[in-house]
Amino acid sequence: MTMRAWSFLSASLLASLMLFALAASSQVPFSQWGDLLAPPAELTLDKIILAYSLFPRAAVALVAGAALGLSGALLQQFLRNPLADPSTLGISAGAQLAIVAATLYVPEIVDGHRTLVALAGAAGAAAIVFALGWRRAFEPVTMVVCGLLVGVTAAALSAAMTLARGEYLMSLVTWNGGSLSQQDWSVFQSLGLELVLLGLFAGLLIRPMLVLGLGDTSARSLGVNLGGIRFAIAAIATALAGFVASAVGLVSFVGLAAPAFVRACGARRPAAIVALSPLAGALFLWLCDSIVQTVARASSENFPTGAVTALVGGPLLLWLLPKVRSMEVPHEARESVHRGNLKIAFAAFLVLVPVLVAIAFVVGPSGHGWKILSWAETLDLAPLRWPRLLASAAAGGLLAVTGAILQRMTGNAMASPEVVGVSGGAGLGFAAALTFAPDGGTVVVFTGAGLGALIAMLAVLVFASRRHLPPEKLLLAGVAVGSFSSAVLSALLAIGDQRSWQILSWLGGSASTATPATAIFLGILSLLVVAAALLLSRWLTILPFGPSIALSLGLSVRLSRVLLLLLSGAATGAASLLVGPLSFVGLVAPHIVLRAGLVTAPQHLAGSFLLGSILMALADFGARTATFPYELPLGLFAALVGAPYLIWLLGRHR
Amino acid sequence: MGPFVSRRELLLGAALLLAAPMARAGAPLRIAAIDWAMLETLCALGLTPVAATELIQFRSDAVEPDLPADVVDLGLRGSPNFELLHLLRPDLILISPFYVRHEAALGRIAPLFSLPFYVRGEPPFEKALAAVKALGERLGRSDRAEALLKEIVGEIEGFRQTLAPFANRSTYIVNIGDARHVRVFGFDSMFGDMLARLGLPNAWTDRSRFTFAAPVSIENLAADPDARIVIVSEVPVEARSGLRNSIIWNSLEPVRKGRVIQLANVNPYGGVTAGLRFARLFAEAMLAGDRRG
Repeated sequence: MTMRAWSFLSASLLASLMLFALAASSQVPFSQWGDLLAPPAELTLDKIILAYSLFPRAAVALVAGAALGLSGALLQQFLRNPLADPSTLGISAGAQLAIVAATLYVPEIVDGHRTLVALAGAAGAAAIVFALGWRRAFEPVTMVVCGLLVGVTAAALSAAMTLARGEYLMSLVTWNGGSLSQQDWSVFQSLGLELVLLGLFAGLLIRPMLVLGLGDTSARSLGVNLGGIRFAIAAIATALAGFVASAVGLVSFVGLAAPAFVRACGARRPAAIVALSPLAGALFLWLCDSIVQTVARASSENFPTGAVTALVGGPLLLWLLPKVRSMEVPHEARESVHRGNLKIAFAAFLVLVPVLVAIAFVVGPSGHGWKILSWAETLDLAPLRWPRLLASAAAGGLLAVTGAILQRMTGNAMASPEVVGVSGGAGLGFAAALTFAPDGGTVVVFTGAGLGALIAMLAVLVFASRRHLPPEKLLLAGVAVGSFSSAVLSALLAIGDQRSWQILSWLGGSASTATPATAIFLGILSLLVVAAALLLSRWLTILPFGPSIALSLGLSVRLSRVLLLLLSGAATGAASLLVGPLSFVGLVAPHIVLRAGLVTAPQHLAGSFLLGSILMALADFGARTATFPYELPLGLFAALVGAPYLIWLLGRHR
Repeated sequence: MGPFVSRRELLLGAALLLAAPMARAGAPLRIAAIDWAMLETLCALGLTPVAATELIQFRSDAVEPDLPADVVDLGLRGSPNFELLHLLRPDLILISPFYVRHEAALGRIAPLFSLPFYVRGEPPFEKALAAVKALGERLGRSDRAEALLKEIVGEIEGFRQTLAPFANRSTYIVNIGDARHVRVFGFDSMFGDMLARLGLPNAWTDRSRFTFAAPVSIENLAADPDARIVIVSEVPVEARSGLRNSIIWNSLEPVRKGRVIQLANVNPYGGVTAGLRFARLFAEAMLAGDRRG
């Protein structure tokens, strides 16, 4: 750690202390603090608030921040992936699913046993991810992909469950968005105890982790029990995140930001990173919470701290980005994918598409299960059905092509339009359009979202192209933008007026909003994008081999990356207008196509496009029929369709 | 989701039946209500819609008006089922400015009628009264609307006199989110506006703090120790024991002195019906408390 890092930390400590002292002394002057430890019945209400709300809140911020920092550091070391944090393992989504299911079906259990319910959910999600990862000796990339997919499936399930019960609002803002406000010391006591115990365990694991840093093959040759150590680390990290999630809700970005900060400040040894991340996390969360409270007192706008950490964390990470040392991951040999039969694959597509179109037009839920519509009924409903079919297929194709481009370009299996932050940017633009032109109508809102996507993309581009655009930095920049956007959106939701309403309905993205004009626009755009991608397929063949090979083949790495990113940004921005920010077609479709054996760049791109369209069209059919007349969000349903398939595939293949 | 299927079957069966063109000649206007406040206003005028949104939640959260079982559920307010709505062949669709996003799609199905109820920082009850008048005119029921408005004014006056003895104490109107957070109703909410019309001071002098995620920490209710606290709508089951054991909640002066009143569910974004329902439940609870102690 450098001098500067320590001065950062102490400045943050000082600022938090000052804000806290200010708040505390305005509640009760320092001179009257003498009897704060007396039983609450003897205290004035002001003193009770100081002793049972302000103090425990600061303490919980410190403890929760430390727990998240430690959890993130352990996960990042363990997965050797600077993007890993508690949420990438599906832990928070698992906890959320458990709470939602219990609230809907057995609310009595949630009352008083919330922690247990959330922990059970977190552990369940983690167990699935570990079971899948175990088959590949916890290979890092597989773990992250599995975790992400389990998380998406869990989130989609909990939303579908609540929507099917007709509870619209609860499904999207499920549980308190990471508010740290406290009523007594019980949360601090339990969380503190949990942190100390798990921290001690983590301390014992630091030495083996040094060995882990060498890479699987070398570690194995030194006789280290890889599976055992990874399991222990993952268990500790999961438990930490689960405890925090159940105690204070979703607090994003701390698990990601703390280790990144520590590393940027020059810490390199795993022991140092793991030891210092809790400190950084604790101070970071306390500072954020102090600012939230100060703003709340000054303006009476009360934002959930969980949303604000992302607000602060996003730009912080962007700023740190040029300094972040790319983690040295010793590359394992890429496993060979069997070459599938192209003819069979494309024949399957050709058969599937007309069947799907037919089903979409003439089948509908009826009085008794399913019904084939008569010709007259089909014609009657066709004007309502073709725009949403075309629009969702086009959006799916756009997202899938973008995913294929990004995965080839970065060589990172996690890359997808959502991760690169373009959807987040579209969300920001959408919110801005609502704020500054509330009566503008659809056109203004769509223009805003498109501009937002473009700006987000440019931001990612500028920050990541400082040097040579290494994949890790590109993804980190994307995550930062995406998280910043979701923080702004949840802050707007917390303000709660007509805007929140529209943001909610965008987050829930249903294809029923597609008009003939938007459908045709998306259709034409998707054809243009896939044509452009096919033209650029030589680049996408070369880029995965790394910049040195690309340069030696006479390819301008920088130019090709800029062009490909522009293409991706335009495609994602347009698609996420319809689908909302949450769809994993862009991640899932290219994976499935690759695993099915379409490995060359043109095959991969075209295959992804077709499969993405089919998946999204299927998703739209499911979304409008599964809980009729209650329509499910398209993006959520798409995730529900695609994610389990990929989980199965990852578990099956060796 | 077991019982859901049968309900869904019932709905579509009804929808297809109603869509039969023969039922149309000379029949009353077929109205679909997307906005809940509009739905209430329509019912207050003595008319029943053929369809409305999110009826499962409406029946549990708004309670009044009691809707007949054959009103078709159009799905979520945020994404109403256009296909089902189209099959129902409505003559008129009632919305509010909250649904600007769907105006184009809804407008292709039937003519729209949109009235504002909730505008940030403005008391809504006057708008709800204006909506009764405007909707009455639109549907050719001006006489009924006039009578209804007179009735409403009379009812409020009655409640105001009933509650006059309680006007010396200010009132917090809250809705419990979880064990640490509440939503607070200020002058620009239906309940806050109604409280003012009943002649009682609101202890919360700021704007309403009502959002999907409960935004106000409980200790904010300590500002006025002499107030009473009115809890509108049931406390969520999962928050009950947390609230019971909360040191801060139990230290609030109104809680210590037993000045907490629990009301049944009322729709916080309703029209005249929700406003009157709140007034009636509140008055009843105050009188019952008075007799007890």
